[in-house]
Amino acid sequence: MESSIFRYRIALWVIGIYGLLVIYQLFNLQIVNNTSFEEKSQENSIKKNVLSPPRGILFDRNFQVLVANKPSYTVRVTPADYDTSNNKILDKRLGEKPGFMKKILRQNRRFSSYIPVKIKRDADLPLIAWYEEHWEELKGIDYIVELQRDYSYGVKGSHIFGFIREISASQLRKMKEQYDMGDFLGASGIEKTYEDYLRGKKGYQFTLVDSRQKTVGRYLEGNADIEPGKGFDLVLSIDAGAQKKAEEMLEGKNGAVVAIDPSTGEVLVLVSKPDYDLSRLSTVISSDIWAEFMNDPQKPLFNRATMSIYPPGSTFKMVSAITALEEKIITPDFSVNCGGGYFYGNRFFKCTHVHGHVDLEQSIEKSCNTFYYQLILKIGLERWSDYASRFGFGRKTDLDITEENAGILPTEKYYKRIYGNADFPSGVLLSLGIGQGEISATPVQLAQYCALLANKGKSKKPHIVKGLIHSEDLTYIPLEFEDIDVHVSDETFDIVRNAMLKVVQGAGTATHLRMPELLIAGKTGTAQNPHGKDHAIFIGFAPFDNPKIAVAVMVENSGFGSTYAAPIAKEVITQYLKPSPPSQNLISSAGKPIDED
Amino acid sequence: MKIDYKIQDKIDFAILVPAFLLAISGLIAVYSSTINHPTANGNFDRQFIFLLLSVAAVIIIYFLPILTFRWITIVFYVISIFFLVLVLIMGKTVYGAKSWLSFGLIGFQPSELAKLGTILLLAIWLSNRKQDINNIFDLGVSLSIGILPVFLILLEPDMGTAIVFIAIIISMLFWAGINLFALFVVISPGVMIFMSLFGWLGLAGGLLLVITSLLFFRRNIFTSLTVFVVNLSSAFFFEFIFRLLKPHQQQRIDSFLNPDLDPLGNGYNALQAKVAVGSGGLIGKGFMQGNQTQLRFIPEQWTDFIFCVIGEEFGFIGSLIIIVLYILLLYRLLKLAHTVKDKFSGLIISGMIGLFFSHFAINIGMNIGIAPVIGLPLPFISYGGSSLLINMALIGLALNIYRNRKQYV
Repeated sequence: MESSIFRYRIALWVIGIYGLLVIYQLFNLQIVNNTSFEEKSQENSIKKNVLSPPRGILFDRNFQVLVANKPSYTVRVTPADYDTSNNKILDKRLGEKPGFMKKILRQNRRFSSYIPVKIKRDADLPLIAWYEEHWEELKGIDYIVELQRDYSYGVKGSHIFGFIREISASQLRKMKEQYDMGDFLGASGIEKTYEDYLRGKKGYQFTLVDSRQKTVGRYLEGNADIEPGKGFDLVLSIDAGAQKKAEEMLEGKNGAVVAIDPSTGEVLVLVSKPDYDLSRLSTVISSDIWAEFMNDPQKPLFNRATMSIYPPGSTFKMVSAITALEEKIITPDFSVNCGGGYFYGNRFFKCTHVHGHVDLEQSIEKSCNTFYYQLILKIGLERWSDYASRFGFGRKTDLDITEENAGILPTEKYYKRIYGNADFPSGVLLSLGIGQGEISATPVQLAQYCALLANKGKSKKPHIVKGLIHSEDLTYIPLEFEDIDVHVSDETFDIVRNAMLKVVQGAGTATHLRMPELLIAGKTGTAQNPHGKDHAIFIGFAPFDNPKIAVAVMVENSGFGSTYAAPIAKEVITQYLKPSPPSQNLISSAGKPIDED
Repeated sequence: MKIDYKIQDKIDFAILVPAFLLAISGLIAVYSSTINHPTANGNFDRQFIFLLLSVAAVIIIYFLPILTFRWITIVFYVISIFFLVLVLIMGKTVYGAKSWLSFGLIGFQPSELAKLGTILLLAIWLSNRKQDINNIFDLGVSLSIGILPVFLILLEPDMGTAIVFIAIIISMLFWAGINLFALFVVISPGVMIFMSLFGWLGLAGGLLLVITSLLFFRRNIFTSLTVFVVNLSSAFFFEFIFRLLKPHQQQRIDSFLNPDLDPLGNGYNALQAKVAVGSGGLIGKGFMQGNQTQLRFIPEQWTDFIFCVIGEEFGFIGSLIIIVLYILLLYRLLKLAHTVKDKFSGLIISGMIGLFFSHFAINIGMNIGIAPVIGLPLPFISYGGSSLLINMALIGLALNIYRNRKQYV
């Protein structure tokens, strides 16, 4: 066995020899070959510049442009080349307070003075024209063209499209591969859901730069460059005309309108009011503007169509009717006598009028509460909530807008949570029978429910985007959606649908929607509101024999559904079914026509 | 100078001072490479805070009774292994490897902790009087202690850290007195493969090295011949092993051998690092003046390629100072391992040397083009809180051992 001094010496040799090798190589690189590396570093440095792709465009169902891109000018300063004696004139021309330029320069003092700093986005033309005249005196100032979202196509659609925002530092850390500083990405609505398609692929330009980052040429004459790939365009199922109409009709009110094509599940209209101007948010915004939106008591950013939940009121009566018929609890001739209400326990449950003898059809037509107080006691909670769940209540519709509320569908489990193991009071059940109490739904859920009533229980999952346009070969890629079937017989649907027709065409609660040329069927409702005036609700579809549109309207704090919600539904329905004039911008963003199958 | 003698008897300044000078050089280089960076400009502040924490760690560990390290060893090792398993289950993927655990704001690499745990447990086992390093069973136990973390780290997969663990194990077995011939038989094929990467000249050099060593060991002709054949075939066998590597690892080896082949892809970093170091010249371009660094030609330069910041901005002289500081540190550690009375302590120091040296050799090597690009930070200098903290804790441990070097534990 060797002594330990022997091992000590071996280790010393290993460390020493490697140290000498490193020093030899350093000498080799830094002293012997210094000149050649110095030249490489001075003249031949390859710099990768990112080329941003244009974001995909949004079209409506008739290929009318909804949201596109527009070029905007961004003014920049390169501190190293900039002459500070221009501070005053620039402050004025940029429309900023005196001292703005000084502040910008001070803020960026820590950064390399060769890297340009953006000082004004979305600069107007007079400013650019002025710069072009005076560029010789304005060394270190330049401008670049960037693409910005263009919302000037007539449809506001704030809650459908959603806004885009500059990427935050924490998002950037997570998605370093796809994004760079200053990139925009979808923050809500369709822009957020389809971000991966809309974004496009970044391009790269390889330039040769000198030590001051001055471009001295293109690497390989630009042959190594990668062109940016435009994002996929989206074809929405929205109908621009009907959407615009609904936005106008609801202006100044708080509420929502959602319309769905019953056979396909395509969302034709989705309006939430109050809304907001997307162009104010989809740019670099100051924290003041952001705070203004967040602190607005009207909550314009809140999507009432998918997020707010209300008791559906009398529009829910069809669920009880269908359950009772389908489960053979009653026959269609079953009738009750309405004396203006119903005594149950120690309480009197009111009806709107004294209806006298009421059968099932009349109970919907005239919206008699007494009928449904008695009916729900026969049905019971479990069967009722089973059928309600088939129509999509109590869970998200999985609309392709991520901000959505599931609503509340009370079940026995739900009441157990509230009342413990004791039986829940039956009075609760009576309220549910007329769509009041704990049951609550979003306007989108009501529209889906109405679509299922219109199309006799068969539809597809509601969705806003129908298909994509491939960014390279411009082919249309339709999206597939899950079927929905509530498994209720056509006979049952016929009875209920006829009753809904009577609401408008007979002696019902919405006869003012009657038109000679178009058969609309529907149901009015009023959501009780303990905090103020009731909310008006209307669901309806048309044409009766071959429904093309099912719509749900909700107007907050207005009163009866018949008076305030139904007329809006009528306008949206007629607008949508009107033969449309040939579209003016039936041309894709790329300037090439689209073949629609 | 009585007092001076006393202080030097308690603290080895030739260990403490180089470590802190290296950490301060690191801060300077991190500042230069990140302060103008849009997303990494907070790195200097974070690194500075971790350096302060490290000072505290050094002081605390220095004053702990030496027995503490024996007591906590098993717990430490078990916790390390637990975290290594945990990171595979719920870790965060950074640069293609699942090696990060994050607890809210704080993220750390369990493999850093495992280095300490493995060194301590191996030191305990190898210093145990009953075990014999050249007994096959006892050696098996040693290897198991070391191989378990290596295995878990390879699953992440983090090739670089696994190599560091192997270096730690080899260095500790070597110090514990393993039969040198046996060690030679195990290590030499690896060296041969590395040499064979450089073509026929490298292969010839490697074979020469093997033959010289065989002559030195003076084993019988049959054994020597077998070892020679194993070495020769392993060099040719490399092609086969190469195919087992992950594509990004294959590309790294390719680009190490010929970075000009793919200047925009895998060879990019290696090439730009060489240009940065080479263009530094004798005295460098000056602090914050290196155009390769300031214009960010090398992505994430503050981690694995931090040495070329120093090379570019402080030139040959700056680089030489760094190298000399490392050599001095390693030399003093080696001397300590040699003089310390307690075997357990000596083994800890030998593991530390394996750790620091492998990081140093691979990292500096890839920055100046004499080693392939394997993602390993430069101890004390690269940006990274958990790595700085653990390395400084090791320095604290070394100083503690120095303080107690004259006693058996």
